[in-house]
Amino acid sequence: MSIMEIKQVGYSYDNKKKVLKGVNAEMEQGKLYAILGPSGCGKTTLLSLIGGLDSPGSGQIYFDGQDIAKTGLSDHRKNHVAFIFQAYNLIDYLTPTENVSLTSKLPPLPILERLGLTKEESKRNVLKLSGGQQQRVAIARALASEAPVILADEPTGNLDEDTAQDITDILKESAHKMNKCVVVVTHSNELAKQADVVFRLRKGELQVLERVQDGAAQPQSRRNNAPRSERRAH
Amino acid sequence: MNLGIRAILYSARKWKKTLLVFFLLLAITTLVLSGLAIADAQEEQAEELRGVTGTSFTVERNLSTGGWTSGNGGSYSTQEFISDEMLQEIASVDGIAGYDASIVSMPYYFKETGDSVVTTGYTNSFYTYGSINTEYNDLFVSGRFELVEGSHITEDMTNGLIISRERAEQNGLKVGSKVVGINDPYTDDPEVDMEIVGIFEVVADKNDEATMYDASTMWDFSNYAFCSKTAMEAMCVNYGDGNKIQEADFYVTDAAQLESVINEVQSISSINWNNFIVTANDEVYQNISSSLSDTTALVTTLIIVITAVSMVLIILILSMSIRSRKRETGILLAVGIAKPAVILQYVLESLLIAVVAFPLAYLSSKQVAGTLGTLFGKAAENVIVTPEHFMLVAIVGGILLVAAVLVSSISTMRLKPKQILSQME
Repeated sequence: MSIMEIKQVGYSYDNKKKVLKGVNAEMEQGKLYAILGPSGCGKTTLLSLIGGLDSPGSGQIYFDGQDIAKTGLSDHRKNHVAFIFQAYNLIDYLTPTENVSLTSKLPPLPILERLGLTKEESKRNVLKLSGGQQQRVAIARALASEAPVILADEPTGNLDEDTAQDITDILKESAHKMNKCVVVVTHSNELAKQADVVFRLRKGELQVLERVQDGAAQPQSRRNNAPRSERRAH
Repeated sequence: MNLGIRAILYSARKWKKTLLVFFLLLAITTLVLSGLAIADAQEEQAEELRGVTGTSFTVERNLSTGGWTSGNGGSYSTQEFISDEMLQEIASVDGIAGYDASIVSMPYYFKETGDSVVTTGYTNSFYTYGSINTEYNDLFVSGRFELVEGSHITEDMTNGLIISRERAEQNGLKVGSKVVGINDPYTDDPEVDMEIVGIFEVVADKNDEATMYDASTMWDFSNYAFCSKTAMEAMCVNYGDGNKIQEADFYVTDAAQLESVINEVQSISSINWNNFIVTANDEVYQNISSSLSDTTALVTTLIIVITAVSMVLIILILSMSIRSRKRETGILLAVGIAKPAVILQYVLESLLIAVVAFPLAYLSSKQVAGTLGTLFGKAAENVIVTPEHFMLVAIVGGILLVAAVLVSSISTMRLKPKQILSQME
């Protein structure tokens, strides 16, 4: 049973350049979705539309069968989705525990400790943490919100390989063990490899590249693994 | 985490920005409070001046509209005189501080021993006003005479007499001394018992003939006297119209209101205004009013300029501050916090600063208002910052502050969260 449903969604910048053309997709809880695509193809825009940060030019987005435009975008952002951004987007005058408390009434410390932050680090100013630690705080904020859908925009984009893998593991765990619907926009093949479903956004259209059964990692298609020059030749 | 806690945490942790706005608000509020105190002192001074300029109007018989008759070797106007009822009616009009009307004659006074009270003139007669209320007699109002002992003659006094200190000393008289007044002792004019109730001193420059002598009488001011109107009427009982009132002076509480008071007086229907002339006496006020209004305009303009410049400055600083928090606004909206809650947080932060800055400004303005007031020619002790000033500034300042935050937030709040965040990337 899908929790998010995207129907014929279209979007254009300034009513001129059409970046999304009748996009359709369904997303379920307990799965990790990856959206791939070249820069500027509209991946982040699609994620923003799913998360209610913007409204589509045409089409509808449903959460649990209800049109989010009708139930209210602010309400959708507050109750249904949680964001993880590439730039972390933490409030800089709050500590990690306070950032997590922005969206949740749960005690923040256990979540932060589970994501690898010590008690002392959890009380520091967020700007005094490393990139990886800041991203963990952002993930903790998303998880603590208890929203069933987590939307992550390039969550490993600014991180080194080891930290990126840690974050990927956390996202996978969020989907598979915490029954969240995790949607990740990424350029990272490593991350995409570990997704349950991989979408590719191209020329404004969304295609399902691979469907992985039971969360098991599968090799990605050769087209996506091929070098850039080779891809251009296709 | 609710917006109140966020507002407190922001104010505490971004303390440099908080301090900047705090000191700005403190300075502005102190200046505005001081300005209001100076404006009030100015208004008070102006009111005081308007009250002490001796601005009055005179009601007198209009001889040109009355008839004439002859007798006793001359001709006399048959125009009606000013009655006591007329005086009472005019005096009851709002804005009239007091009035005086008098009958003038040149009676003689005698001590209890029977000796004449002597003067420095050719005869021992005194130039005497039979007055209703000497406090409002032009000689006292203008400051040429000053009552130095006893009291003024009032409406309820029937036999009071006021003489100069020089004549009192010369004749061994003092307040409480009994005298007898006779208008003309060489006729059968009645003797009227009187009591000295006051002593006046001539303040006018004795070397200045223009002020020392009454131009019309050429009498030495020290030979002037004032008696109760009732006593004068009794002394002049043999003189027909000679003991009736020809004119009366009414003094107003506020010189600026003279015209409206005169208009109200002239609308009294029971008086036939065809028979009387009303003349305004406001030369002194006219002379000072332009400089008064110039100073008032200057103070008012300064307050308006200070307030306006300050508000522009505050709006600019708050606007810059909120623009610099665009990213935070985007994040808060993205995590599901509603726009009104975000704006309310910013409003609350400003009000938290104001809650501390306004009372401190009240205290500091009490210290600096006097000093600033001296720059405008005010005595420091007259420039007082009152709780009413504080309430006014706190309420209006609070409203303006909220408005400034709202205006500063408009541009950011009109954007969608995605637009705000993408501008930050």
